[in-house]
Amino acid sequence: MRQTDRMFCRILSVFDFFRKSRKILGMNSRNLEFIRPFNRKRAKRIADDKLLCKRILKKNNISVPGLIAKICSYQDLDNFDWQKLPASFVLKPNRGFGGEGIIVVYGKKKGRDDAWIKADRSLVTIDDLKNHVRNIIDGSFSLSGIHDTAFFEERLQLLKLFKPYAYKGIPDIRIIVFNKIPVMAMLRLPTRESSGKANLQQGAVGVGIDMATGTTTSAVVGKSKLIEYVPGTRLLLSGLKLPYWKDMLRLAVDAQSVSGLGFLGADIAIDKEKGPVILELNARPGLSIQIANLSGLKERLEKIRSLKIKTRERGVRVGMDLFGGEIEEELEEISGKKVIGTVEKVKLIGKEGKEIEVEARIDTGAGISAIDKNLAISLGYREAVRIWEDFHLDQVLSEEEIRELSKNETWKELEKHPDIVGVAKTFSSHGATYRAEISIPIIIDKMNMTSKMSIANRDGLKYPLLIGRRDLKNFLIDTSK
Amino acid sequence: MNIQHLNPVIDFFLREGVPFDTVVLLLMLPIIATFIALLRQVVGVKAFGVYTPLIVTFAFLATNGVKYGIAIFVTILLVGMLSRLLLKSLRLLYLPRVAIMLTIVAIAILFMLTIGGGLRRTGLASVSIFPILIMITLVEKFITVQIEKGDRVAFMLAAETLIISILGFYIASWPLLINFIITYPWIVILTVPLNLLIGKWTGLRITEYVRFREIIKNM
Repeated sequence: MRQTDRMFCRILSVFDFFRKSRKILGMNSRNLEFIRPFNRKRAKRIADDKLLCKRILKKNNISVPGLIAKICSYQDLDNFDWQKLPASFVLKPNRGFGGEGIIVVYGKKKGRDDAWIKADRSLVTIDDLKNHVRNIIDGSFSLSGIHDTAFFEERLQLLKLFKPYAYKGIPDIRIIVFNKIPVMAMLRLPTRESSGKANLQQGAVGVGIDMATGTTTSAVVGKSKLIEYVPGTRLLLSGLKLPYWKDMLRLAVDAQSVSGLGFLGADIAIDKEKGPVILELNARPGLSIQIANLSGLKERLEKIRSLKIKTRERGVRVGMDLFGGEIEEELEEISGKKVIGTVEKVKLIGKEGKEIEVEARIDTGAGISAIDKNLAISLGYREAVRIWEDFHLDQVLSEEEIRELSKNETWKELEKHPDIVGVAKTFSSHGATYRAEISIPIIIDKMNMTSKMSIANRDGLKYPLLIGRRDLKNFLIDTSK
Repeated sequence: MNIQHLNPVIDFFLREGVPFDTVVLLLMLPIIATFIALLRQVVGVKAFGVYTPLIVTFAFLATNGVKYGIAIFVTILLVGMLSRLLLKSLRLLYLPRVAIMLTIVAIAILFMLTIGGGLRRTGLASVSIFPILIMITLVEKFITVQIEKGDRVAFMLAAETLIISILGFYIASWPLLINFIITYPWIVILTVPLNLLIGKWTGLRITEYVRFREIIKNM
């Protein structure tokens, strides 16, 4: 009997495996269902010709790295004025692929006007450059070795944020756009193995990105190896929030409308001064982006295939909403309020800067926050608690007793102690209490404030702290959290 | 071969003077091509396109025994790779560079054949020139892939090409299949609907199940 059960389970898991695998975009499906019908020949030509692509994008006011000069033939090469090149630039083959044949120059060699310094600090002379340009013109770096054009482009400057993450080169962000909607994105980090190139096939790291927030999630290196840290360091790859996120999504969607590529992989880099720029467009985006995101592309593409999107903003919005893991951040953006759950970690700062983090019950049914006496003691309010206990306020009182306390102006006595900042009478179904309030700085979800809390006996309750309405003005409460 | 089973169509070809081997090889070609297409689209073995493994398969069929074919194939690629490494530092233009590489490969093959003859491996020495020439042209293909996708990928693709070609060789020289084809030559037409099916196949390739296993695990 047990054996049949086990067998049944195995059959189920195989079934499950195939059901899940249908969410993944494979090579066959990419070529047949997405590239063939949505990327027309003319559009593909734009993607394969970097100079043409640059010109078209620029004409449509889409930010691209500036073109310095181009060399189309040997004759151009002979007439080329090398002195007009700036101190730093990038030399590229027009139809190159996979980052081959690119020379990055960082600055002029001091005291020489015919030599520059490369990324690896080695020298490159005009003769070296000439030889390289000749190779490019002869098609050494282009698909199927056809005649090619060499061009000089301004060198992008690395954003400070990326410095610890990138080895030598500049990281770029690949965004897949389909039907005017950004579908999936990945940050590509150059590594030592990829010799500074942001190309996954050459060993760069691919990091998945949450579409709603632009925050990195999981990461992959090589064909399908998942990693957590930047290779060779203890630097976490997840949780990095990319700047200009929404701008980059807009840029990618714009690039799609301009290029006419229905299924597009836009490569975007961030320059220190210019901000995000389109590096190149890809008519046959790779599939590894799925591994970096641990998520299937096909499922996403099918979800949006039949949507009618009119404007760029709408497309960006839909992409963020549908494929982002956390929409709450947006809600926070709209309302200006943070979203917290019914139980939230709260940091309390006691006397002499002592910090204690506890889980607190978020209770909109209570007006005033309440703190357990033991917690108050450990924060340094021993005396306040003692006074409160001396007056037997830790017990539930009857209404007469409360009236008595009020009549005797007990609050005046209590407030003599500097820690006690107020007195509150509360009436509840359990009876009435007369509470002493102390003032404690607290931090809820990165928001600093000072809370007036009443000391209470929360023995036997799950949470030593209760946050009431008075301290919740700047929050929205999500009961499903 | 059992001549009684000859299909009238085949019989007609033979009577008109087309050699038997040529008829069989030409009818085998669509089957091998379909086999390669199936491996590519459904299994996910890439190799260097369809043409290269196909032509290597027939080069193997034309050499005297598959082992010599493999020896020549491996030698050509190894020598090609080594000479590329040697020539890299010279920074030559593309075509002259490939020409030098072909020269080195040709000389290496000549030496290999001579050594084979010296070791009384007459089968190796007497391999006809055309399969050798066909395989030498692989060098350029290999180098292109090396430039485009890097050494490792090129090496993998070469290995896959070799494996597919060996499988293709055994399929094409399988007596049962040869018999079947000359008895029912129209079977060859069936490769067309089969390819129509493969050509519309949008499912994951078998190798992709492996490649994307981490995603499926994490779903």
